[in-house]
Amino acid sequence: MIKQDIKSLEERSIYVMREAKSNFKNVAALWSMGKDSTAMLAIARKAFHGKVPFPVIHIDNGIDFPETYEFRESLAKKWKLNLIVGNSVIKPEMSGYACCGANKTVALKKILKEYGFDALIVSIRRDEHGIRAKERVFSPRNKDFKWNYKDQAAELWDNYSSNDDSDGHIRVHPLLDWNEVDIWNYIRKEKVPMNPLYFSRNGYRYRSLGCTHCTTPVKSNAKDINQIIKELEVTDTEERAGRDQDKEREFVMEKLRALGYM
Amino acid sequence: MIVNRVTLLGNKDHGKSTLIGSLLINTGSVSEQRINDAKKTSKKLGRQFEPGYILDSFQEERENEMTIDTTRAQVKYKSTGFEFIDVPGHEELMKNMLSGASYADFALLIVSAKKDEGITEQTKRHLFVAKLMGINKIIVAVNKLDSVNYDEARFEEITDGIKQYLNKIGFKSESINFVPISAYNSENLVKKSKKIKWYGGSSLIDTLVALSNSRKESSHGKSMVLLQGVSEDDSRSVFGKVLSGSIRKNQRITIQPEGHTSLIKSIFVSGRRSAKATAGNVVTLELDRAVKEGIKGSVACADRDACRVGSSINVLFFDTKPLKGKLSIKMNSVEIPCRKAEVMRSISVATGETKEKGSIKPLQAAYIRLSLGKKIAFEDFEKVPELGRFVMYSDRKFAGIGVVHN
Repeated sequence: MIKQDIKSLEERSIYVMREAKSNFKNVAALWSMGKDSTAMLAIARKAFHGKVPFPVIHIDNGIDFPETYEFRESLAKKWKLNLIVGNSVIKPEMSGYACCGANKTVALKKILKEYGFDALIVSIRRDEHGIRAKERVFSPRNKDFKWNYKDQAAELWDNYSSNDDSDGHIRVHPLLDWNEVDIWNYIRKEKVPMNPLYFSRNGYRYRSLGCTHCTTPVKSNAKDINQIIKELEVTDTEERAGRDQDKEREFVMEKLRALGYM
Repeated sequence: MIVNRVTLLGNKDHGKSTLIGSLLINTGSVSEQRINDAKKTSKKLGRQFEPGYILDSFQEERENEMTIDTTRAQVKYKSTGFEFIDVPGHEELMKNMLSGASYADFALLIVSAKKDEGITEQTKRHLFVAKLMGINKIIVAVNKLDSVNYDEARFEEITDGIKQYLNKIGFKSESINFVPISAYNSENLVKKSKKIKWYGGSSLIDTLVALSNSRKESSHGKSMVLLQGVSEDDSRSVFGKVLSGSIRKNQRITIQPEGHTSLIKSIFVSGRRSAKATAGNVVTLELDRAVKEGIKGSVACADRDACRVGSSINVLFFDTKPLKGKLSIKMNSVEIPCRKAEVMRSISVATGETKEKGSIKPLQAAYIRLSLGKKIAFEDFEKVPELGRFVMYSDRKFAGIGVVHN
């Protein structure tokens, strides 16, 4: 995994978030309390004079880890975040694809409608998945959250899509260029507060965080950020290996994203 | 690590995705898991493993063995970082090819040596567009040489054809490297091929390393900041990005095209207070007076003549759709209505020939004069790329790209 220059990555992300702010009327961000979306908030604070100038949305299915909820409360207070919690209801018979596709998306649709958000900042990265590598920085979704991946808008020279569909919204991806290791380098450099689940306990840690039903920890002795960065230099395991495989299988991610999954 | 962005170019089926896939595998840049996933898909589709599947992730892409949309993959080799940008080679997917290529520092053009393939109109079109986009460093990989028994004469034939075309369109071809390869068989990609004895140069990846080390930044000395918007808390604070030169505290600036002048009271670089800012920095400038909304896309200049201001611009344009109905251009995400597009000279992309007047046709190019609906700040593409490049819309549909030319 290549370690990129985090200063230029940060500059790029600041530029993109400012574009989002000036191009749309009502911007919000998704915050899962994971490393990427938390790093994104740290960058937003640098872009906008020490404050996050848009609401942050947590789609809560009630089965996130206790550490995740604690982390949410403490950081929301510390950074004075305008937190919107959308509740999705977990059905016992659902898991993986059906669960993320249906539950989370339904809850998010409701929030977008209620608040009238026309753009949504989402902290995905190209190196996470082959499908995510195909994304644009500004990526339109229609009212059903459909991603028209077979006919994406042209995007060149910092000319981004505008929201031509009044019922739809634009997904903004300020972290698309970052690699997993860059996120950790940034967290270390900027001392970004982090969810404790990422650090090893009893020989295991979470490398990618979802809910308690679909995420399993990976074997690791990395107890701090330095050790995580070292681990990433040699690993041959995919970052999302700890995610429910049902969701990661070929073409399933594509279908999920087409349905509006983050 | 600075990552060199390399766009693939070339006709469909000449092997762009296969080449990147092979490079990823041969340099150990992709996990076993991802390779296995691609292998499984090949099997399921009843086909031989194809390295391109690592890049082509959409179901439709794998099933139809074609790249629909651009993607990227990174490779580290001998402490040099590369990001390969894969693009579709199909004519009807030009907008996706342009989107990918627009991010590149240099280009890797693939030409298939296979009988009946060779240099096509699309090969030339991609070269033309690379030149228009200002990509001056190009490597030409002559691929599928296994299909012609690694024949040197076929390699020379393609090399000469490319050189002739480049000369026609005013590209200096001395600086271009030609490398014979077989992407599918991993010949001459990382290790020098034993099957291509007549070739004295380096392997493809070593050629890329040499090219990336010779990269030189050109800098236009004049100080300018592209403005992105005004802070919602303080109308004297503007957000922007330094395009060239440097700016410092207590400097007087002129905002163009408005022509307003102001004093910089303080500067924040990536959120931190600083006495000055240089090219590439994203900044917040606190000015001595409030700035009106609508300055997005304007330019703050230290010297008021640093860039040009006007509503008529001469451009080199590459067309992807018929220009009709309502025209507009977009520069730095600001849309500007376009009243008239007058052809000065048209260019046949296939031959490189130009002629007076003529018309604008899809997949062809032209020098045109645009009359815009309002004044803008702009500059020659060669001097300040960010102020000299745009996309065109025809009835709100993407219709081509252009660069300011004199």
